[in-house]
Amino acid sequence: MSYVIKRIGYAILIMFLASLVTFAALRVAPGSAVTSILDPARTPPEVIERYKEELGLNLPIWQQYVNYMANVLRGNFGTSLFDRRPVFDLIADAALYTVVLAFAAFVLAFGLGVPAGVIAALNRGGWFDRVIRWVTSAFMSIPNFVLALLLVAILGVKMRFLPVSGASGPANLILPALVLAADPWSLTTRVTRTAVVEQLGADYTRTLRARGVSRMRINWRHVLRNALTPVVSLGSVQIRTLLGYTLIVEVIFRWPGMGSQLVQAILKRDYPVASALALLLALVVVIASTVGDLLLRAVDPRIRSNQAVIS
Amino acid sequence: MVTSLVIAPVDVPESRRHKKRIGGITIPTWIGVGLLALCALLGLVVLLAPPFRNLWTAQDLRATFLPPLSSGHPFGTDNLGRDLMWRTLAGLGVSVAVGLGVAFLAVTLGLMVGIVGGYFGRAADVTSNIVIDVTWAFPAILLAVVFAGWLGPGLLTVVLALALTEWAGFSRIIRGEVLSLRERDYVSAARVLGRNKVAISLRHFVPNLLPVTLVLAVYFVAGAIVAEAGLSFLGIGAQPPTPSLGSTLAQGRDYLTRTWWPVILAGGVLTLTVLLLNSVSDQLREHFDPRIGRRR
Repeated sequence: MSYVIKRIGYAILIMFLASLVTFAALRVAPGSAVTSILDPARTPPEVIERYKEELGLNLPIWQQYVNYMANVLRGNFGTSLFDRRPVFDLIADAALYTVVLAFAAFVLAFGLGVPAGVIAALNRGGWFDRVIRWVTSAFMSIPNFVLALLLVAILGVKMRFLPVSGASGPANLILPALVLAADPWSLTTRVTRTAVVEQLGADYTRTLRARGVSRMRINWRHVLRNALTPVVSLGSVQIRTLLGYTLIVEVIFRWPGMGSQLVQAILKRDYPVASALALLLALVVVIASTVGDLLLRAVDPRIRSNQAVIS
Repeated sequence: MVTSLVIAPVDVPESRRHKKRIGGITIPTWIGVGLLALCALLGLVVLLAPPFRNLWTAQDLRATFLPPLSSGHPFGTDNLGRDLMWRTLAGLGVSVAVGLGVAFLAVTLGLMVGIVGGYFGRAADVTSNIVIDVTWAFPAILLAVVFAGWLGPGLLTVVLALALTEWAGFSRIIRGEVLSLRERDYVSAARVLGRNKVAISLRHFVPNLLPVTLVLAVYFVAGAIVAEAGLSFLGIGAQPPTPSLGSTLAQGRDYLTRTWWPVILAGGVLTLTVLLLNSVSDQLREHFDPRIGRRR
């Protein structure tokens, strides 16, 4: 229990430092937000000054940070510099789309990856195993935006089979989710396969077989259960990778989620939106790795002796 | 990205164990390395040598979207009538430069932090762990996007952002290795002889860490090449007129209804390069890690 508290405290520390990084990176940035809204050549200096005052940009940097965090903790992320809407509302709209997309990809990756890995491992060297090896190598090598473009070209433009942009209906989810899932699926499949193969060759498996336990029972009750530890730890790592990729995949498919919103905000220098999004994405990663650590300890008693903080 | 590499073990097919070797390295590995070196050299020369510059910058608006095998343009032209073959090669040069730059920076930083964390006492270990975890809170692409807001878009931004995220996972691995290396007898012997920690690190740790470093460096190059292309695709990486496979893909996407060719070409080159790097890295890993070969 004390480990749980320690781990959560550590996660809060990491979040605090991460918030410093996003804040510093986006506030100290050259080309201030003011000049990207108001043309400095044509706006009277006093207008610019008033605007800066209003945004709190004249305060010392640490005070800006304190004000910012005080607001953030109250759920107030400021307003977008461009359309003047509260950042919170903007993100809330986008978050739902990203969550749906990432969740769909996660389910695809693990829902299809674990069974595929298990089947490949149980038929080691068979045709299914070989096909899986080839397909996973291909998916791990092809960058997902290239895969996205190929699918868009073939299924969207040529065959007009699936919608390739926007989020007007459930069918719009299919292509982005598939593209986002391709790489994590390959990794999950491989890790599952290797873990199962390893457990099949373990001493206890041989002992069970010698004792006459049925193969079905060995595979399902013992092998699979032990093989899932690395798969669980992979899961929390995957969330980080998945979130990174949503940035690109959302832009390609014009999926109105947080990823495409962040790219837009950065390119427009809409700092309140950008730093809120960066902070939120970092928060998700930190939560995922904390939950992953705790889950792993619950699943695998051997890890409990290890006090090192692993993310 | 890096942890996943660590978790995903290499599977060595039975047949690969008895391959012929030259200098201890299998022939397919040599072929892979040779091909990679050739591509890298070609790309860099086309990108950097002045005589080639005109070949990949020249525009001809009367000859846009030429199909492959057109006269003078064996791979056709893009939306501005620029030769796709030279564009792709120059883009490959950018990829190679970015990949090597990121790998070098990430490896150097990761080695230093990993050794310091693993060997220079508890305080150093805790501090480096915190730094690593903060770094890990940001997916590489997210940090690159944040950096682009700070430094402005460009290749330097890409290299810095990728190096500053990718070192973290590598450093964790190095720390683990150092924890086991520091217990070796020759390290104790060196300490008895009065060597200080820096000297021991350089003399005993670094050489022993080279195999792991090399294998992961090749992965870094592959990862960085993909990430650079992705960021350039988003408009955050290479800015025109700098060629990049990612920018070619982005333009190709805008004209996808007209021609697939630029997407196929740039995407194909990118995929093959990554495939080659991944397989070379796998083989190097097998070469350096005898345990993998012996496993069943």
